[in-house]
Amino acid sequence: MKRVPVGRRNLFAERRRALLGVAGVGVALLMVLALDGIFAGAMKRVTAYIDTSPADIIVSQRGVKGMHMTSSSLPLSAVEDIRRMKGVSRADPILFETNSLKSPKARALSYVIGYVPGGRGGPVTITKGRPPGPGEIVLDESAASKLGVSIGSDVSTLGRSWKVSGFTGGLTNIVNTTAFVRFDDYAAARGTTGTASYILVGAESPAGAVAREIEKETGLTALPRPEFSREEAKLVRDMSTQIMQIMTIAALLIALAVIGLTLYADTLARLREVGVMKALGTRTRRLALIVLSQAAWMAGAAMALSIVLAFALAAVMSRAASNISIEVTAVSIARVAIGAGVVAAIGAVAPLARVARVDPATVFRRQ
Amino acid sequence: MAGTVPLSRRNILTDRRRLVISVLGVAVSIGLILLLEGLWGGLRVQVSSYEENVGANLFVGEKGVRNFLGEVSAFDSSAVDELRRRPEVKAAWPVNTRFIVLDFHDRKQAAVLVGSVPGGMGGPWKIAEGRPVEADDEVVIDRALARQHGVGLGETFEILGRRFRVVGLSSGTRAWMLGYMFVSHDASAGLLRSPGTASFILVDSEDPAATARAVREELGLQPLSPDTVAENDRRLFAGIFGGPLNLMVIIAFAAGTLIIALAVYSMTVERLREYGIVKAMGARRGRIFRIMLGQTTALAALGFVVGFGFYLAASALITYALPQFWSHVSPAVVAGVALAAGLMGFIAAFVPARRVSRLDPASVYRG
Repeated sequence: MKRVPVGRRNLFAERRRALLGVAGVGVALLMVLALDGIFAGAMKRVTAYIDTSPADIIVSQRGVKGMHMTSSSLPLSAVEDIRRMKGVSRADPILFETNSLKSPKARALSYVIGYVPGGRGGPVTITKGRPPGPGEIVLDESAASKLGVSIGSDVSTLGRSWKVSGFTGGLTNIVNTTAFVRFDDYAAARGTTGTASYILVGAESPAGAVAREIEKETGLTALPRPEFSREEAKLVRDMSTQIMQIMTIAALLIALAVIGLTLYADTLARLREVGVMKALGTRTRRLALIVLSQAAWMAGAAMALSIVLAFALAAVMSRAASNISIEVTAVSIARVAIGAGVVAAIGAVAPLARVARVDPATVFRRQ
Repeated sequence: MAGTVPLSRRNILTDRRRLVISVLGVAVSIGLILLLEGLWGGLRVQVSSYEENVGANLFVGEKGVRNFLGEVSAFDSSAVDELRRRPEVKAAWPVNTRFIVLDFHDRKQAAVLVGSVPGGMGGPWKIAEGRPVEADDEVVIDRALARQHGVGLGETFEILGRRFRVVGLSSGTRAWMLGYMFVSHDASAGLLRSPGTASFILVDSEDPAATARAVREELGLQPLSPDTVAENDRRLFAGIFGGPLNLMVIIAFAAGTLIIALAVYSMTVERLREYGIVKAMGARRGRIFRIMLGQTTALAALGFVVGFGFYLAASALITYALPQFWSHVSPAVVAGVALAAGLMGFIAAFVPARRVSRLDPASVYRG
């Protein structure tokens, strides 16, 4: 005989209550998904310059393993030393610092990268205009929009003014954007001679072995590009882990309260029916399964709602705030689903206890 | 009629367990909003700790620079001598400053490196343990940062490839997630490969306005009052963290509203017959809404009180376990969150009120 899906029917019998409950849990789960998504988006954007770079190895000052929130300075003579090494196809220096881009309308914090024209290190794509000539700068298009500048406009950074020659894309994150100028212009603006910030190296042999050789020969830090990118992402992760945990716990506690409240209210409303079922010989175990299935349905529906809301939020944010990117990942969904499952099981405890205590004789009493 | 029957209070107190679950749910939402606002308040206070405590009444930076944190300022430090020659200037000291990333026990930590002249202005303003920096291989680090990573006096670690010995622990020297690290000016110049340059000159002047004029007109540099730098740094961090934080506050607000609506709606659905009687006795829509509003605002008020307790407990726990986060809510913020709780109650009242307003009073006479 086919079983009646009592749990699901009970839950959705009072639709508005079910809707409020599912929405409450869904919104709480959305909090975790959105926060996860913001940090996943930030990590992806923070490493965008490195991830799209054609370099196989990135060489930096000893002890420096990233670009974000750090600085690196090394002797320019190391470029020639590296170029002479076996397994190295090319080595291009870049100058780098975080500075402000200023226009009459606004300011934007930016990586400013000085690269040798024709070498690696410049913008991988130019979406509009052309690469920077002398005294010119290429901006990310979302930063250009914020600054209210177009090609031919002036912006200032590194203590001088630059003319915008072109736009690139995908290099603005939650903290800063990215801008490119010529290496020589950068060095002149900063008054530096004989130094570089990083060296981007092309390898003919396996990158790991070449990087080890560079470290041995120069005393600098050399990492294959994927490893350098992982180190960069690790900074964002390590700095955000604890705040993520606090928010996740709070959001799951809210979800727990909503699930517990919905199931408890529903169980109270059906105590007579539970009594009837008990009087008809239904075992407590079967009744427990009904409550648990209600919890599972609720968590499942809320999870689906939170995923839809998270994707909608990501779409809205990409239009409203181009520096905030929300990446809803499968790992994040799985993590939140597990959390929702655990919370649903805990939320069912109070209703389960109430069901277990129901006396079948209640069915014969008048309400 | 002798008096009004306190329907709201009676309804809400009928089922204590449901009341507890509802209040806890609302309290977690309100506690989370307070915690988010508290972290935000802590960030705003901590982010400007250097500007407010270092003792300078004028900051001199590279032309166009507005922030102490985040953007790089670098200029010829010979300007220090020119400032010292001015009669109104009591003291002028160069400092170098950069964001750096350290690897502590395989965890990445961003910090603010400050290089100042031993005995001059710019170093730590409060030493909790040990002593200030005297030699070029010594470092004073923020005490909370040291505790966070298990670093003690006398220990050594690498900064940008050079080993430094911890000779002092400073207190109150945090910029939220970032901690300050103080080395000598010469050591910082070596680490940053920037001899003869300064990021800022800290000035103690008897006439800051006159000094600022001279800085701008004679030296071509940027004078900034400590208050201006502090506000600019707060704005910078607000631009970075404000979006995600406000998003979380909105979601927590929505969750709290849904919990209140769900709780009162559940109570209402179970008492539809009674509400039918109330309507049959002539209660109008306004009276019904006030009954609902009484219940929802009571839940919101209880949720606020318990939520404030949650906030105090969570805040104390976080400050103890994660000293890098400091939480601070002003009375104005508490009042704002109390208003938000009231708004939650007001919005939530519409859902059950609508259900009852559609109820046919004749239903009370049906079986």
